[in-house]
Amino acid sequence: MTTATAGSVRDGVRTPARSRAVLAALMRRGLRDHRRAPLIWGGSLGAFSGLIALLYPSIEDPLREAVEGYPEGLKEAFGIGELDTAAAYVHAEMFSLIVPLAVAFFAIRCSAKATVGAEEKNYLDLVLATPLRRELLVAGTLAVTAVSAALILLVVGALTWIGGVAAGTDLSLGSVAAGIASVWPLALFAAALSLVGAGLLHRDATVTGSASGVLVGMYVIDVVGKLADPVEPLRAVSAFKYYGAAMQDGLDATGFAVLTGAALLLAVVGAALFARRDVLH
Amino acid sequence: MPAVIETDRLTKRYGASRGIENVSLQVERGEVFGFLGPNGAGKTTTIRTLLDFLRPTSGSARLFGLDSQRDSVAIRARVGNLPGDFAYDPRLSGRELLEFFARLRGLPGTGRAQLLAERLEADLERQLGALSHGNRQKIGLIQALFHTPELLTFDEPTSGLDPLMQEEFLAIVAEEREQGRTVFLSSHELDEVERVCDRVGIIRDGKLIAVEHVAELTGRAFRHVAVEFSEPVDPLEFARLAGVTHVHADGRKLTFRATGAVDAVVKAAARHTVIELELTRPSLEEVFLSYYGKDAP
Repeated sequence: MTTATAGSVRDGVRTPARSRAVLAALMRRGLRDHRRAPLIWGGSLGAFSGLIALLYPSIEDPLREAVEGYPEGLKEAFGIGELDTAAAYVHAEMFSLIVPLAVAFFAIRCSAKATVGAEEKNYLDLVLATPLRRELLVAGTLAVTAVSAALILLVVGALTWIGGVAAGTDLSLGSVAAGIASVWPLALFAAALSLVGAGLLHRDATVTGSASGVLVGMYVIDVVGKLADPVEPLRAVSAFKYYGAAMQDGLDATGFAVLTGAALLLAVVGAALFARRDVLH
Repeated sequence: MPAVIETDRLTKRYGASRGIENVSLQVERGEVFGFLGPNGAGKTTTIRTLLDFLRPTSGSARLFGLDSQRDSVAIRARVGNLPGDFAYDPRLSGRELLEFFARLRGLPGTGRAQLLAERLEADLERQLGALSHGNRQKIGLIQALFHTPELLTFDEPTSGLDPLMQEEFLAIVAEEREQGRTVFLSSHELDEVERVCDRVGIIRDGKLIAVEHVAELTGRAFRHVAVEFSEPVDPLEFARLAGVTHVHADGRKLTFRATGAVDAVVKAAARHTVIELELTRPSLEEVFLSYYGKDAP
């Protein structure tokens, strides 16, 4: 039986190498849990998006005429430009709302499930009985969510591009890459919202509902802010203001950095809250 | 050498609800400590506060001389825990679960898991969701033991185990003690606590109401007294004596409980012709029930 001082024991379980090994174990476990997500989420969203790209040549002309008749405010609010390219059409149909919200919802579920969901199912008692810092559990959860969301987006991007190429459109790989790259920090932000919720609440459904509600609220603020000048300043607090329309306009590096930075900041807050609260179940 | 577990007026409340109240106890190295109480008495809250799942409302806890909150990671490196409701992802096999926990603990492998699995007849290859409650509990026991921790905390460990496996578990606990390890055993299975524990703590309504060596607890408690006389006697003669309760007469035989010194009982009996006199200690279960009965302290 060995003896050690409190300091030496504490240091022994908190080395950077040890933290990296624990993080790797959490990621390995988490990615295995979500190994079907790229196929299910990426496959279904990608198939839909690919179909939209595939259909574009057959509806290009009537679509242009229809869009010309839309009010300017409506086109601006929903990011509908002149829909004269496949990239603009795919953005308007898929990447202005459906793909970002769906992938963000996946990120919220993924993060909530690994934290407050595990608490609700009594799994956390086992995991936290090991020498694991709760902050590392949160970091591992965010990392798993980030990688899983990236894999989903890669599948979405690949199927979208294949649809565009198969239809003989001008949809470039660069446009598609920019489109999926712009969704990723939004997903990260949504995951971080979920982690803040997990730091405050004890129910999976409550955390998922709250984080989803905040995200949808941000979307509404962004849309209304584009239409009504008095609401426009509020767009600054909406994640969607920094999302943009990368598929047609190219990736907005500033928006990408702001969203990623905000996500990391929220995740740090979530980790601190989660580390300090009771694990109830 | 500090106590392995030391709590000082440890209190945990859930809002207005009671959890535990001013629990102060010490568990020494190499000791098997039984923690007794019915459901909701505060046994699980105590363990979960020791392991820093719950933050104390007031008071403090030290394990291995380390602060239960500030040093919780270092503490948990030296603890094996079986929660009261052992559950994990049902898609994982027992072996996958153990490999995951070995990695979280920074261990190169699953240690003595295979040996324990053989002793407990546990199937490590099947998914947890496909196992019966008892067989899943065996995996829970193995995950608490496989890394040979210095302190084991068990919350209702034999729940769902068949009698043979309960015996095997008690044998493992005894071996752990022989090797100098400490066991904190929360249970309401009084028989197993009596057989394996050195000391017991009894918790009621969140308060620790007694900490005793098992032998002392049963030794200092009441005695069952059975006296057979040559002819029937008036039971009131004995019912009037201090410390005598539960008097029952059946012909020439009188049975009752006597608490404290039995001198008055012997002198009262000596006024008659005694054929047979028998004094027996109560079981731990009877002692425990006396703490929870209407005459409880």
